[in-house]
Amino acid sequence: MAQKEATVYIVDIGSTMGERSHGRKETNLDFALEYVWDKIMSTVASGRKTAMAGVVAVRTDETLNSLGEGYEHISILHNIAQVQMPQIRKLQRELVVSNTHGGDIVSAMIVAIQMITETCKKLKYDRKIVLVTDARGPMDVDDLPQIRAKLQEDDIQLTVLGVDFDDSDYGFKEESKDSTKAQNEGILRQFCDDGAGVFGTLAQAVDEISVPRVKQVRPTPLYKGKLHLGNAEQYETAITINVERYSKTMVAAAPTASSFVVRSDIEATQSTQTVNGESEIPGGGLASVKSTRTYQVEDEHAPGGKRDVALDELAKGFEYGRTAVHISESDRNITTYETEPDLDILGFVEAKQYERYMDMSRTNMIMAERTNEKAYMALSSLIHALYELESYAVARFVAKENKEPRVLLLMPSIEPDFECLYDVELPFAEDVRSYRFPSLDKVITVGGKVLTLHRNLPSNDLKDAMSDLVDSMDLSEFGKDDNGQPTEYAPVDEAYSMKLHRINQVIKHRATHPDREPPDMPEVLTRFSRPPDELASSSKSALASVIKAAEVKKVPPKARGKQYNRKRETDKPLSDLDIGALLAQDPGRKSKRIDPKNAIPEFKQAMLSTTDNADIENAVKQMKTIIYDWTEASFGGSKDQQVVEGVSTMREELLDLEVPYMYNEFLRELKGKMVGEELGGDRRLLWVAIKNARLGLVQRKEVEIEGLPEEEAKALVNEEEAKAFWSMPKPK
Amino acid sequence: MADSDYRKPDEDDEEDDEIDETGYKTIKDAVLFAIDASASMLTRPTDVDSKKPDTALSPTLAALKCAYALMQQRIISNPSDMMGILLFGTEKSRFQDGDGNGPGLQYPHCYLLTDLDVPAAADVKNLRNLVEDEEESKELLQASKTEVSMANVLFCANQIFTTKAPNFSSRRLFLVTDNDYPHASSRDARNSAAVRAKDLYDLGVTIELFPISHPDRGHTFDRSKFYNDIIYSSTPADPDAPAPLTADIKPASSTAKDGISLLQSLLTSVNSRAAPRRALVSNLPFEIGPGLKISVKAYIILKRQEPKRTSYIYLPPDSEKAQIAVHSSTLMADDTARTVEKVEVRKAFKFGGETISFSQEELSKIKNYGDPVLRIIGFKPQSMLPVWANFKPATFIYPSEEEYIGSTRVFSALYQKLLSSKKMGLAWFIPRRNAAPVLAAILPGAERIDPDGAQSVPAGLWIKPLPFADDIRQPPEVHHVPAPDEVVDCMRTVIQQLQLPRGVYDPMKYPNPSLQWFYRILQALALEEDVPEKAVDLTLPKYRQIDKRAGSYVIEWGEKLDAAFLSWKQQNSSGQKVTSTGATKRAAKAPASQAAGKKIKAEDGGDGDGGPSEADLRSAYEKDALKKLTVKDLKSFLHGKSLGKGMGKKDDLVDAVTRYFETKMDIG
Repeated sequence: MAQKEATVYIVDIGSTMGERSHGRKETNLDFALEYVWDKIMSTVASGRKTAMAGVVAVRTDETLNSLGEGYEHISILHNIAQVQMPQIRKLQRELVVSNTHGGDIVSAMIVAIQMITETCKKLKYDRKIVLVTDARGPMDVDDLPQIRAKLQEDDIQLTVLGVDFDDSDYGFKEESKDSTKAQNEGILRQFCDDGAGVFGTLAQAVDEISVPRVKQVRPTPLYKGKLHLGNAEQYETAITINVERYSKTMVAAAPTASSFVVRSDIEATQSTQTVNGESEIPGGGLASVKSTRTYQVEDEHAPGGKRDVALDELAKGFEYGRTAVHISESDRNITTYETEPDLDILGFVEAKQYERYMDMSRTNMIMAERTNEKAYMALSSLIHALYELESYAVARFVAKENKEPRVLLLMPSIEPDFECLYDVELPFAEDVRSYRFPSLDKVITVGGKVLTLHRNLPSNDLKDAMSDLVDSMDLSEFGKDDNGQPTEYAPVDEAYSMKLHRINQVIKHRATHPDREPPDMPEVLTRFSRPPDELASSSKSALASVIKAAEVKKVPPKARGKQYNRKRETDKPLSDLDIGALLAQDPGRKSKRIDPKNAIPEFKQAMLSTTDNADIENAVKQMKTIIYDWTEASFGGSKDQQVVEGVSTMREELLDLEVPYMYNEFLRELKGKMVGEELGGDRRLLWVAIKNARLGLVQRKEVEIEGLPEEEAKALVNEEEAKAFWSMPKPK
Repeated sequence: MADSDYRKPDEDDEEDDEIDETGYKTIKDAVLFAIDASASMLTRPTDVDSKKPDTALSPTLAALKCAYALMQQRIISNPSDMMGILLFGTEKSRFQDGDGNGPGLQYPHCYLLTDLDVPAAADVKNLRNLVEDEEESKELLQASKTEVSMANVLFCANQIFTTKAPNFSSRRLFLVTDNDYPHASSRDARNSAAVRAKDLYDLGVTIELFPISHPDRGHTFDRSKFYNDIIYSSTPADPDAPAPLTADIKPASSTAKDGISLLQSLLTSVNSRAAPRRALVSNLPFEIGPGLKISVKAYIILKRQEPKRTSYIYLPPDSEKAQIAVHSSTLMADDTARTVEKVEVRKAFKFGGETISFSQEELSKIKNYGDPVLRIIGFKPQSMLPVWANFKPATFIYPSEEEYIGSTRVFSALYQKLLSSKKMGLAWFIPRRNAAPVLAAILPGAERIDPDGAQSVPAGLWIKPLPFADDIRQPPEVHHVPAPDEVVDCMRTVIQQLQLPRGVYDPMKYPNPSLQWFYRILQALALEEDVPEKAVDLTLPKYRQIDKRAGSYVIEWGEKLDAAFLSWKQQNSSGQKVTSTGATKRAAKAPASQAAGKKIKAEDGGDGDGGPSEADLRSAYEKDALKKLTVKDLKSFLHGKSLGKGMGKKDDLVDAVTRYFETKMDIG
C-alpha cells in the first residue's frame, strides 16, 4: 500500500484565527495546527520519499503564488515535496496568525489543485487536499462547481475541517454563530455533500489524533512452492499442491533510538548556541556513535596475558566447547545440512489434543498459488477435510535451499470468501527443557505421603470462590459492538501496541514542540491494562470471597534488630544432625581464623556465630585481607570472579547483620588500594566487574534500619554519590 | 540454554529496554561429577544379558559413560557451562597442576579426571578413550586398598568449585556411589564429612546424589545412614512440607531390571537434572483481582536452540593449536573517531532527516510503562483464542511463596478452574521494568507424563503473549474455489489413514536435523573423527508408509478432483456463479462453510440484516458516491470483509471500500 502520495494542506491563518473560542486555551490557529502537524509528522515519520506534502497558507499578509490577480493573500509556503525537519521549522515560523482578513479559501483550493496537477501530472498518486479554516474570510463561490468537477476528474480527495463547525453526528452545534461563518459553513457543507469531498468539524479530527492508526503492509509471499503429501519422485500416489505463504502476524516494531554524542566542534561553543536547552544546530549537533571491535587472544608472554590481533590475522571457525575448530574456506559449507525447499506433510494430529503453549513462532498463512484455480480447489479440500475432522496437519518445511528444516503445525481456517491454512512452528526435542515441578492438585511429602489437604492446596471454599470469580469476570460478552449488542471484550485486533504508539507519539510531539515536555500516555493505550471498572465492581463480592478463603499474606520484611548468632532455618541437612554444634567443635575453626582456601564458607559461618560488633570486625578484617590477596594474585584477571564473589558475600552478610557502614568502609578501602595500584597494577577491569555485579556502596534507600546510630548512617550514600563512586581514574 | 536468553548480544544496537536481570552472579552452571571407583563399584554385575553389552558394565564405567553422554550433550545445549569429573576411591591420585604440593598429595585417592571447565575437544576424546578402550580404563580404574576420606572428597570438590567456577549462580556436585555408609566405624570421620558438606552448602554448591543398589548382592542403598547428613534441602524441615521441587533420585540397580540397564537409568536420572532450573523472572506479582496479589516465577521451557555462530579463530604461525579470539568493542564518535565513554552517549531518534533527542529523565519517563506485573483483566473461553494469535513462545509460570504466603493454593485453585472450565485469563503483562507491556492469554497446562513415568511437562499456567492490532497482517486478495463434497470426502479418508501416534505431535521424537548435523560435523572435526556421510533426519515423512496406507485413497481423491475441477471450469467459463458448489449441503455440520454459502448469496444482491448490501456499496462506488454513506454503514460493510480495522475516519473508510472494489474489479 505504499502508493505515492501528494497532500496539500491549506491552512487559514487570517486574523480571526487568533481568537480563542469556546473556552479553549489555545488560539483557533493552534487548535487547527494540532491536527495539521499531527498529519504532517506522521508523514515525516514514515520516512518515505514518495510521501510528499505541500502547504498553502491563506489570508496571509503577503501574497506568494504565481496565479496573479484574484489570488491575493495566498502564499505557497512549501511546494509538494518530502518534508524534513528544516522545512518543518520554517513552516512553524510562518504559520502564525496574520493581520489580514482578506484572502479567499476557494481560490486557495485552486492554488492547491494547480500544485497537485503540476507535481503529479497523470501519474499514479494518492492526491489529497486538506483545508482547515474558520470560514470567516470572504469567499467567492462562483468557481465551486468547476472545482468540484476538477476534484472528481483528477481523483483528488478533499477534506474540509472547520473550527467549530456544526456536526450533529459528532454532537456539536455552535450557538450564536457569526453570520458570515454560518453562510460560508453552509456553502462548504453543500459543496462537500455534492460530492466534492468530506466535511467535518475540527474538534472531531483533533479527538481522533489519539486513536492509533494501524499501518497496512502490502502482503508479500515468503514461500512459493509445493505442498506435498507423500514423495512425488518415488510414488505416483503423492499429492502436490502449489502454494504460497504469507505473514499473518509480524511485530510492528517501534522506532529505535540510536546512539549519539555531542559533536566535538559544537561542545566548546554550545553554551552560546543553546536555547531552552535544545541545540539550534541542524542535526541537533550530534554525531553518531559507532562501535569498533578489537580482537584478543590469550598469550602468556604478553602483559596482562592477552594480546591484540588484527582482523586479517584471523580465520573463521566454530567453538566446540572451549576448543576452536578451524574450518578452511573451501570447507565452509561442511556444517550446513543440505536441504531442498519443500512443505511436506508428516501426518495429522487431533486439534483438541494440541496444547497452545507449543506454538513457537509467529503465524503465517498458506494459500493456493494465486493464479492456479485447481490448486485452490485441491487445497480447499484439505482445509475442509481438516476442519471437519477437527484435525491439524504436521509438516516439515524448508523455506529456501539449505535452510534448516522446521516442523510446522497447519491449522485450517474457513471464512467467507477466504480459506487458508495457518501455520506455526513446533518445537524440536532440543527446544524443550525438562524442568520438573510438583503437581498442583496433590502434595507428595518428603516422607512420600500423598496429601490432598495441605496449606499449598486450595480448600473447597477457595476452589468454589475462585470458580465464581472466574465466571463473574467473564469477558466473552462484556464488550459492545457497533449496534450495542454484547460481544467479546478486548479481542486481539482491538489492542494497540503501547510501545509503538507511545514512542511515535512523543517523537512527533517533540518534533512539533521542541520546547515542551513529552505528553502523557494516551488513554487508548492503557485501556486494557486493568479490568474494566464495571466488571471489577460487579465481581467485587466474588473477589472478596476468594480473598477471604485464600488468606494470602505478604511475607513480612525481615525482623528488625541485630541478629547475632542467627540460625537460618534452612541451614540444616535432611537429617536432624546439629551441624552448628559440629562446626563449633571443629578443630580447624575454633581459632576463628578464616582459611583463605575455604574463605567464603568460613566467613559465612563466622558471621553466623558473631556475638558483637567486635566479632564482625574481626571476621571482616580477615576477609578483607583475603580479598586483597586474591586481587593481587589475579594475573590477567584470572581471579577477578573470585574477588567479585568475595565482595558480594561481604555485601550480603554485612547488610544482613545490619552493619552496612562496614561494607562501605571496606569498598572505599578496596577502591583506594586499586587507585593507588597497590593490588597488582591497573585493576579497572575488575572494578567494572564489581560495578556490573551491582555491588556498589550501600545507599540509604536500600536499608530500612530503625535506630541506626548516626555515625553508621553517615557512611551510607544517596544515589548520585553511589553513581559517582564508580568512576576510577586511569592509571598514570 | 545458551546464555543468550538472559543477555542480548552486544552487537545489537537496540535500546536497553530488555534490561538484563542477571543480578550479580554469572548465570552459568557448573557440574562436577564425583564418581565412586571403589572395589564394589568396579565389579561387574553377575546377571548379564549377553545381547545388551551395556548390562555388563561396572557401575563406575556406566557412570563414566553417562558423564560422557552428558558432556557431548551439554556442548550443544549449554555451550558456556562447565563440567568436570572427579573419581574417588582410586588407587591413583591426581589434582589440578601447579598447586605447589605435588600432584594429588593433598587429596589421596581422589583422581581429577577432567578439571572443571567448559569442555575442550581433548576432554571429550580422553573420556571417549576411557569408556571405549578397556586397556586404558583398566589401568586407571583400580580401587584403593584403604578407604577414601569423604571429608577429603568433599573438600576437594569445594576447591575445584572455588577456583574454577567462582561466582557461578549454579554449582552442582553429581555424586554417584553405592556406598551408603562410608566410615562405618568412625563417627569422627563421618562428622568431618558433614562439616565439609556444610562448607559446600555455604559455598552455594548443591549435592545431587545418584545412589546405586546391587540387588544381586542383596544391597539396597539407604540414604538415612549417612547421606541425609550431607544433603541439604531447600525447603524447611517440616514433615508435611512438599518434597523438594525435584524429588530424590531413586537408587538405580546395578543389574538390569526389566531390561533397563544401569546406564539407561543413570542417563534418565542425570537428564532429569541436566538443566539447572533458571527462573526468567523471580517473584513476578500476579494480580488476580484488585487487592489479590500472589507471586509467581517465570521459566522458559520452550526455546529454539540455534547452532553456534561462527567465531574468529587465530591460528598461531608456530603452533597447531587454534585459539578463539575474544572481541571487545569500543564506542567511537563518527565525526572525529575519538573514543566515547558510555556516559557521554545520548539516545536520539532519527526523524525527518535529523535527530530528535530526549534527556535521560525524559526517556525513562516515556518508557515507564509501569512496574512489572501480570494482571488479570478478565476471563474468556479458550475457544476465543484465535489459532493465529501467536508471535513468540509462551512462558511457564509456577507459584512461589517467597513474597506472598498462600500463593501456591490460590494459583492451584485458579489453575484447576481454568483447566476444568476450559477457560483462559486475559492479562496485562510487563515482565521486567521498562519492558513494553503486552496483552497475554493465561492458559492452563496439565501435567504430562512420558512413557517412562517421568514428568515431561509440568502442571502450571502459561503466559502466551498475544499480537496487537498493529501486528496483524491482511491476506492478499485471493480467489475462492471451494472443493465440492466428494473431493473433501476423499481427502478425509486420506487424513484418517495418516494420524501420528496417539494423534499428537511429540517433540521428543523429532531432533532438529540441522542442529544435530552441525554438531556431529563439528565434533568429528574437533575430535579428528571421520566425517559422517549421511545425516539422520527424523523429520522426513515416512514416504513408504504414506504410500502404503493412503495411496489408493489419494488416487481416488485425484480423480474426483480432476472431475470436479473440470465441471467447475465449464460452469465458470459459461459465466455462471460459483454458488452451485455443494458447500451448503454441509452447512449443518460446519458453521463456517454455512457462512460461506450465505456470503455467496449476499453477493448476488440478497441481504437481510440491516446494513447496506454489497450491491448498494458497489453502486455507490461506481457513482463515486461512497462519501455520502454514513461512517456506520461503511464500517459495517468493511467489518464483514474483515477490513478497515482500527479505522475511524470517513476518509480512511472510503479509501478501504474503494480499494476493495478496485481489486475486486481487477480479478473479475
